[in-house]
Amino acid sequence: MARELPLRRTPLALRSIGGKVFHDQRRSLPWWLGGIAALVLSYASFWPSVRESGERFNEFVERAPGWIRDLIGSPDFATPEGYIRSELFALTLPILLLVYGIGLGARAIAGEEERGSLDLLLSTPVRRRRVVVERFAALAGGLLLLSATAWAAILVLGPPFDLRLDPGGVAATCLLASLLGLALGSVALAVGAASGRRTLAAGVAAAAALLSFLVHTFGSSVGWLRPLRWASPFHSYAAHDPLLEAFHPLDAAVLAGIALVALAVAVVAFDRRDVGVG
Amino acid sequence: MAEPVIETEGLTKSYGKRRGIVDVSLVVRRGEVFGFLGPNGAGKTTTIRTLLDLIRPTGGTARIFGLDSRRDSLEIRRRVGYLPGELALWERMTGAELLAFLGELRGDVDRRSIAELADRLECDLSVRIGSLSHGSKQKIALIQAFMHRPELLILDEPTVGLDPLMQEEFQRLVAEARAEGRTVFLSSHILREVERTCDRVGIIREGRLVAVEDIGDLRARELRVLDLRFARPVPASAFLGLPGIQEVEAQGDGIRLTVAGPLDAAVKAAARYEVVDLTSHEPALEEIFLRFYGGRDGA
Repeated sequence: MARELPLRRTPLALRSIGGKVFHDQRRSLPWWLGGIAALVLSYASFWPSVRESGERFNEFVERAPGWIRDLIGSPDFATPEGYIRSELFALTLPILLLVYGIGLGARAIAGEEERGSLDLLLSTPVRRRRVVVERFAALAGGLLLLSATAWAAILVLGPPFDLRLDPGGVAATCLLASLLGLALGSVALAVGAASGRRTLAAGVAAAAALLSFLVHTFGSSVGWLRPLRWASPFHSYAAHDPLLEAFHPLDAAVLAGIALVALAVAVVAFDRRDVGVG
Repeated sequence: MAEPVIETEGLTKSYGKRRGIVDVSLVVRRGEVFGFLGPNGAGKTTTIRTLLDLIRPTGGTARIFGLDSRRDSLEIRRRVGYLPGELALWERMTGAELLAFLGELRGDVDRRSIAELADRLECDLSVRIGSLSHGSKQKIALIQAFMHRPELLILDEPTVGLDPLMQEEFQRLVAEARAEGRTVFLSSHILREVERTCDRVGIIREGRLVAVEDIGDLRARELRVLDLRFARPVPASAFLGLPGIQEVEAQGDGIRLTVAGPLDAAVKAAARYEVVDLTSHEPALEEIFLRFYGGRDGA
């Protein structure tokens, strides 16, 4: 009689290709989530002292040249909305989600292919398109988890420091941030699925992210850039502030659209080519 | 004759400069253990990965179970167990986790068969794969290939890294699969391994299938190199012209013989002198190929 297996049941995360992504991240994901919560906590704890000097800072900003205001995003440190936008939503959270999203997107196909373990996965009866779609779903799920953590942290850790914000507005901004990560993470997924090269995938997506940020940032004052802003995912993310005005579903739709087009490219490109060895 | 399980016709994969495979046509029948023998880089892995639709041929076709290797790949992979040649497993998982995951994707794996295979191969499945030796990783790869009791096993260099005891266990696994009417297609660059395990051998060299032989025929022509050392120098002429002797080299008090087939005549001839030492070894695969299957183009 054979001895018992060390695993009595298959862990939930190992029952699907997408689930395995979280199994692979079971050590790093808690750090991401804890890091985001800690970041929000530190910003919240600075709020009481920032608010006191906020008016003076705003006057300083108003006197600054236009391009500097573009770059620092015309911060308003006198209101909770302005403070959290300039500290967290203008750059920090989108960068975190872009790093997570692009890294995961580049690893999804190309990273696994470079390590050589894609052969094993594709020798089982699963279609290549299922691998791509499940990994895309995991990418979306991971980004939503990260931005939901930011949302919860703001609403839970803010009020003790008198940083009170509208839950709906924060949720909309967090959703937009995760869609931004998904759009560019999907670009990394697509480049990786087409080329099999992880660094190329991450590099192209990171360059696209940077370019899109610059087009958005300088597009408001540099005339010839203005018409290009519609093509910038960062512009879709930051053009409207749901903390202060109504949420524009079109912004979310554009970002989701980019992600879906990239997904389609990834499926088609990966299905057509040879899988590399090691 | 049993029906064909693998059937390739003019299978070709060209990579531009890098060598692929050229015009490979072979038939492997149900219940057979077929060895795919060739030096490293000859095109064994390329052929195998084409069968599994991991890479696409630039010419020719492959049918497995009568199904098209490209169009019906999903159904084929359901019924095939595969051991990759350039083995890469998910290093952060334990063996048990990896097998459970692959089992979920296959959907029809009996946990008892995993436990039984792990037992037979003396494989600890509770350890992180990243911390295992190459041989232990190979065992996990073997388990995942055999665990769903597939109709066809495609094994790319299956015994690399296995110790001799485990190689024997592997041969028993293959023999059992054959006894149950399953088919095994395995690649190797080691002639002895193929001889021990297989019924027929396809020999691939520089991307071309140069011969397909029954193992008995191959064995009858088996090459041996005998190194003899005598108490006193012995003339090479003592061995020239004996049956099976292909080459005689005399050097000091030693003689090197290259013998095809049985060693009887050579040993009896040597016994007439005072033999101090005798060693027998197998020439390198490349040398055998050159002798039997000619020069560069396998003509």
